[in-house]
Amino acid sequence: MSDTEKGGFIAKVIGPKRRWRAYQARVRQLPENYRTAVAAFERYLNYCGGLVDATSAESLLEDLADLFERAAADGTPIREIVGDDPVEFIRALVANYEAGGYIAWERERLINAIERAEGEDTGEEKGTVR
Amino acid sequence: MVKQMTEMLKGTLEGIVLAILSVRPAYGYEITAWLRDQGFSGIAEGTVYALLIRIEQRGLVDVEKVPSQKGPPRKVYSLNAQGREYLDEFWKTWSFLAERLEQLREGGR
Repeated sequence: MSDTEKGGFIAKVIGPKRRWRAYQARVRQLPENYRTAVAAFERYLNYCGGLVDATSAESLLEDLADLFERAAADGTPIREIVGDDPVEFIRALVANYEAGGYIAWERERLINAIERAEGEDTGEEKGTVR
Repeated sequence: MVKQMTEMLKGTLEGIVLAILSVRPAYGYEITAWLRDQGFSGIAEGTVYALLIRIEQRGLVDVEKVPSQKGPPRKVYSLNAQGREYLDEFWKTWSFLAERLEQLREGGR
């Protein structure tokens, strides 16, 4: 739903399903081992991605496809793409798309709550950090 | 040793990549290859890629798609004015950190 709302004009016209299919078609074109790696990340994101916003999820998957398409063309081995720690790699990538999701919302709430709590400080002088 | 390097790079890779881009525009593969050449052998292309997306979103770089003979177009990143400002800040922070660490190594204070 939010996909059609936020995805701009093109997304409104062609709809999120079209976008999803276009992504899947791109992945099918990848060499087999690259495809296997992308599928593994896709599965992981489904279970542990933490993204609820469909637009973010689509952008993330498309950028993931960009990376693997380019790497396949360059002949970069899988391990050199994802590094020693695939979990850390995908965490760093996902962090770029959290802005619209509930995680950002909760972070903002936390920041605001701490600011309010700080404002409730009673006269005592702030200790210097060091 | 490897683990330590990974942890330290987490805080500095952004500055390193901006510094590379301050010399000339580059694409992800080039940046990764250069870093590997310089001895950062464990660096993953995906890590650099995630970082490039982040600095693009934060408006520190400009991006141009350049056609490639083989495969999809390459995204070439160049440092913009905001990026240069950010890089200046990074070097200030780095100098502070490096000086303090050197003092510690020479036996505190």
